[in-house]
Amino acid sequence: MAGVVAKVPSMISSALTQAKPKFNIFMKYARVELAPPKLNEIPQIKAGIGKLLTSFKSGAWKQQTVKQATLNTLVGAEVIFWFYVGECIGKRHFVGYDV
Amino acid sequence: MSDLPYGPPVRVSPLIRFGRWSFLTAGILYGAFHQNRLSKKEAKIREIEAKEKVIRDAKLKEEKAIAAAAEMKALEEMISTKK
Repeated sequence: MAGVVAKVPSMISSALTQAKPKFNIFMKYARVELAPPKLNEIPQIKAGIGKLLTSFKSGAWKQQTVKQATLNTLVGAEVIFWFYVGECIGKRHFVGYDV
Repeated sequence: MSDLPYGPPVRVSPLIRFGRWSFLTAGILYGAFHQNRLSKKEAKIREIEAKEKVIRDAKLKEEKAIAAAAEMKALEEMISTKK
């Protein structure tokens, strides 16, 4: 047991040195894909929301192909799921509230 | 940029990124707010139950004492009538 405990710091340092390049690659992707929107992208966001609303009102959402519709549904579902992830973080408990 | 293992990063539309981050922060705020509200309610209920527990314990003790006294009396009567 003492031998295993003595090895733990070297194991941690070797894991960190292994993980650093992978983490850097992740950060390269994350800076483009996961970044919060910048201020100069707000007009694009407004245009996007406007397009969504007009397509809803004019019924153009029925003219999509089934493939497009499923993709849009999945993306929309993922965006909505982030609300529940945030709720779990806020209540600091996974399932239900801890009263 | 050309050495990334999964190719160039996808340019996610800003609307989707805005939606994700806004839902995340809204969820965190709502979770914290709701947790606060519910824990306050639960604290009040616990107080009331603690008070009732004291009253209930006293009542149960009384009833037990009465039942024990009645049992003792019945036992004594059994012994005395048997004789």
